Amino acid sequence: MTNIANNFSNNVFINCPFDHDYISLLRPLLFTILYLGYNPRIASERSDSGEARFQKICELIEQSRISIHDLSRIRSAKKKEYYRLNMPFELGIDIGCRRYKGDDQANQKKCLILEKEKHRYQKALSDMSGSDIKNHNNEPEEIVRQTRIWFVENENPRADNATKIWESFNEFMADFYQKREEEGYKDKDLEMMPIPEYILFIKDWLDDQNSCVAL
Amino acid sequence: MAKKKSEGSSKRVHIISRKDGWAVKKEGTSRASKIYQNKDSAIKGSEKLRQKGHDVIVHKKDGSIQDWKKSKK
Repeated sequence: MTNIANNFSNNVFINCPFDHDYISLLRPLLFTILYLGYNPRIASERSDSGEARFQKICELIEQSRISIHDLSRIRSAKKKEYYRLNMPFELGIDIGCRRYKGDDQANQKKCLILEKEKHRYQKALSDMSGSDIKNHNNEPEEIVRQTRIWFVENENPRADNATKIWESFNEFMADFYQKREEEGYKDKDLEMMPIPEYILFIKDWLDDQNSCVAL
Repeated sequence: MAKKKSEGSSKRVHIISRKDGWAVKKEGTSRASKIYQNKDSAIKGSEKLRQKGHDVIVHKKDGSIQDWKKSKK
């Protein structure tokens, strides 16, 4: 954990919902970040019951040069469902850290804001009007495309194209299911897999792909 | 930056959701063989490759696995 914490330049804090519905977007998002050579940091990467969640969030934000905030779930989808405040709250902490912490690291921070639709967030969060955000329409392929575009615009103009990353993700998923099945994992194990375990499988797969090229 | 395995090293074909339809893509190649308007057509279109010894992996829209059709060879 210490090495990860010290890797400020490559750390990407992900601020997103952790419900079952979002997993179809979270998995390709994690894959894209790792594919592009960065290190995803997410609140569910550890779950020490003795650690206050707010403290953990602040720590992840401080340790990450890049943040991705997905505001696509701030609107309640059905009657009597609460809208989600955690995502805009954590976006506020991140922007506050960048603005007020004032040290060298905080000045290097950058963020990507994702939403389902392009201008919808302005109705709930008008203070952010005029910010350049990207929308994914709740489409797994689109979250790969928009995230990759942001990294090209801000980090690496030579990144592989989005179609290539999306197809790699699909190939990874095939290997992932096949290998886990061989290891005795059942559907529920795959569905409920903890995020750190899933990240580790992506890392192993990407390492394997790179070593195949080197051979 | 991830790099791909060398071309032609695999006998698997993927049916993958794309913005413009459903792609049939042989693993290890850089481009999809063909893009179909819908998934059923893509599955039918991949049948020849299955006869030739490829496994056909049908993905859901989120990349997870819907069906794994073993090769007929």
